[in-house]
Amino acid sequence: MTEACECLGCNVGTAVPDFKLDTFEPLKGDFGEISFAGLKKKNIWTILFFYPADFTFV
Amino acid sequence: MGAEIITVSADTKYVHLAWQREERNLAGVKFPMGSDPAGKLARMFGVYDADKGMALRGTFIISPEGTLLNAEINYFNMGRNIDELMRKLKANLHLSKHTVEACPAKWTNEGDRTLTPSAKLVGKVHEALG
Repeated sequence: MTEACECLGCNVGTAVPDFKLDTFEPLKGDFGEISFAGLKKKNIWTILFFYPADFTFV
Repeated sequence: MGAEIITVSADTKYVHLAWQREERNLAGVKFPMGSDPAGKLARMFGVYDADKGMALRGTFIISPEGTLLNAEINYFNMGRNIDELMRKLKANLHLSKHTVEACPAKWTNEGDRTLTPSAKLVGKVHEALG
């Protein structure tokens, strides 16, 4: 285990700051970009699903 | 259900592409696969393991208004229960429309009993849930 945990930056019940991610989008078979501001404009729920690494056993 | 799932790891978008095309278990994947190579987003959500350069198994549900409502973080060696994630998402959807209610621990589906906190309910949760 790591010696010191990173502090939780986003607390439950608070606003999530804007962020951007480069993506691969299997539906389009192409690369893309996601911004949180763009997601909010779509007025939908967002689920962020973190995992350690590709080619492992999620 | 009106939710966008975004998976996030420290891999590049090129590796995401290679993995999704190679691994037959991922043939049905429809959600965008986000790339967080410097762990910036993982740090923002407190799931970055700096020694390993990888993100822990963190799941976060964010409302359409941009508020973080649920957080679940597992260590590397434990998978997540998708039924529980769906339960939380359904409960959030219900609560966003019924703002005075609360979903108890065993709430699993629309139609299950909820609690509406009030003076009368204090000490009477057992009776309210029947």
